[in-house]
Amino acid sequence: MKVVKLPKSKVEEFLSSLQDFGEVIIPKEKTEHPGVYYFDVMENPSEMAWEYLRTIIPPKKYLHKPREVIFKFHKEQGYQEVIEDKETKRILFGLHPCDIHGIKILDVVFNRDYMDPYYYARRKNTVIIGLSCLPDEKCFCKSMNTDYVEDGFDLFLSDIGEDFLVAVGTSLGDDLVAERAHLFSEVEEEDRRKYLAFRKKRNESFRLELDISDLPYILDLEQKSPIWDELGKRCLTCGSCSMVCPTCYCFNVYDTLNLDAKSGQRIKQWDACLFKDYALVAGGHNFRENRAERVKNRYYHKQFRMVEQYGKPSCVGCGRCIDACPAGIDVVEVLTKVREGSYVTH
Amino acid sequence: MSKPKIGIFGLTSCAGDQLMILNCEDQLIDLANAVDIRDWEMAKTNNDEECELDIALVEGSVAQVRDIENLKKIRKRSKILVAIGTCAVWGGIPAMKNDVPRDIMLKEVYGDKVEFIESKAAQPLSSFVKVDYNLPGCPIEKDQFLQMMASFLNGDMPEILNFSVCSECKMKENICQIVYKQEVCCGPLTVAGCGARCPSHNVPCSGCHGPIEEVHYDAEAKMFQRKGIKPEEIIRKMQVYAAPAWMPEKLMEELQHESK
Repeated sequence: MKVVKLPKSKVEEFLSSLQDFGEVIIPKEKTEHPGVYYFDVMENPSEMAWEYLRTIIPPKKYLHKPREVIFKFHKEQGYQEVIEDKETKRILFGLHPCDIHGIKILDVVFNRDYMDPYYYARRKNTVIIGLSCLPDEKCFCKSMNTDYVEDGFDLFLSDIGEDFLVAVGTSLGDDLVAERAHLFSEVEEEDRRKYLAFRKKRNESFRLELDISDLPYILDLEQKSPIWDELGKRCLTCGSCSMVCPTCYCFNVYDTLNLDAKSGQRIKQWDACLFKDYALVAGGHNFRENRAERVKNRYYHKQFRMVEQYGKPSCVGCGRCIDACPAGIDVVEVLTKVREGSYVTH
Repeated sequence: MSKPKIGIFGLTSCAGDQLMILNCEDQLIDLANAVDIRDWEMAKTNNDEECELDIALVEGSVAQVRDIENLKKIRKRSKILVAIGTCAVWGGIPAMKNDVPRDIMLKEVYGDKVEFIESKAAQPLSSFVKVDYNLPGCPIEKDQFLQMMASFLNGDMPEILNFSVCSECKMKENICQIVYKQEVCCGPLTVAGCGARCPSHNVPCSGCHGPIEEVHYDAEAKMFQRKGIKPEEIIRKMQVYAAPAWMPEKLMEELQHESK
C-alpha cells in the first residue's frame, strides 16, 4: 500500500480542493450541543471536527437514505423510476474505521447477492476518505476486529502529530493525491516511528472489551436464557439503536398517494425489527409478537445469523447504540452477561 | 366516479384540528375539488345537516352529554367515520383530569351559576361508536391529513403508524432529551407522525399524538426513576396526553412496589 504524507498546515487546502470532485461530507460539531457530532455537507473546511467522536447517525444515511422516493406512478402514464442523488459525486470525509467497516457490511448486504439499484447508484459515486481516531469509553471496535481498515477506503488519514500519513487504498485515491501532488511529501523514517507510537497509544486506550470468541455458539445455547425476557421488560422498542446503527439496513416500502386520486409515489424508509409491525404479515400473524422476542432478534441477527450468512458479525463496535439507548441497555454488558450466564435485572 | 360527500364536525374541542384542515392552504383548492363538502359548520354556510355522508371527520372528545347524541347521529349518516385529533382518538387533554368529579371541576372553572353545561368525564369517540380510522395529533399534521384523504379518494385505507417518535427524532439527528438532558420525554411512548417536532426544537416530547399500540409505560417510568426523577413528576408528564385513564394508579403501584 502506498503511503504519503500530508502536513496539517495543508490539510484545509486539501479539503477545499476536494470540492472540485463533488460534494464533501464532513463531521461537524453541533454548535448548541458541544461534543455532539453529525455528518453534513462541508461549506468551509474550518467546520471540520478533526477530533470528533461518533456522530449521531452513521454515514450510511448518504447511501441508504432514511426516507426516499423510489418511483412515481400515474394511472395513465405508468411509472417513472426515481433514484435520488443518482448524479451526485460525493466524498465521505473523515470516516473512522468502524464506519468504514459498517459500509463494507452494507456493501455486502446491498450489492452482493441482490443488487439494490438505489444503494448502488449512490455507492459507485461515493469516495471514502478515512481518518484515524482515539476511542472513548463506549468504543469497542478493537473487540469486534474493526479498529483498523485494510480496504474499503480510497484514502485513509492517520494523525501523527504535525502531519497525516495518507494511505492510498484505490486508484481513484491515487488520482486524488496525484492531482494535488504539491500538497504531499514522502514518508520519512521519523514518521514511521511516530505512526507506530500513535498506534501503540491508540491500542492501549481502549477501555471497553467484549469477548466475541465462539459467541454465535454461546448464543445458540442461550436461546432460552431468561436474559431476553429481562431485556424485554426494559426495552422501550423505540428503535433508536437501529436508527443509529451503521449496519442496520432494514427498510419498509409503502405508497403515498396524491389528491388527484390518480398518482402517487413509492417510498422506502428505515424500519426496525424492534417495531411491533415489523414481523406482522397479511392475515394478521405476527412472527415476533412480544417485545422480548424482538429485542432478542436484534442481538441474534447481529451476532449469530450474520456470522452464519456472511462470515462475520454485523456489529462494528462504534458504541452508538450504547450512546443512544434511553433505557441504558448496553450491548457489551448484555453479551458479556450472556456469556457468563449472570444476567440480573436492575 | 362522483365526489365523496364529506362532513367535518367538532365535539368538545378547541377546533384546532379543523383549523389545521383550513391551514392546508396550498392544497385546499385541490381538496375542495376532489370532495364534496356538505356539512362543515365551522367553515361554510348552507350546510346540509341530514344528508348521508361518505366520510365524516370528527374532532374533539365526548365531554358533554349532548356530544353523545351528536356523535351517534353523525355515525348513522356516515359510511366512514374518522376520529381526527388526539381528543377524538384518546380523550386528549380534556381527559387529563377525569379523576376529579365533574361538579367540583365545573364550580372551580365557571363558579356557582352554571346551568348550560352538562359536563361528563371526557372520553374518546370509540367509547360510543365504531371508529373506522384514527388520525391522532394535537393538532393533526397537515401531511398526515392530506395523505389520509388521498388514500380515501383512492378507495384505500390509510396506513396506521405504529412506531414511536424516537425513530423520527433519530433520523433528524436531534440530541436525545432523555440521554443528554435527563428530561421526561414521552417520545418512546408516543406514535410517530410529527417528525419529532418538539425535540427538533430542543423540547421534550409531550406525547401529543398519543401512545403507540404496545406502549411500555412501566419501563419508561422505571427508566426515569433510575435517573432519579420522582414518580409523581413522571406520571404528571406522561398523563397529559400519552396515557389512558387507568395509567397513573397502576403505575404508582408498580413504582412503589419497585422501590421497596
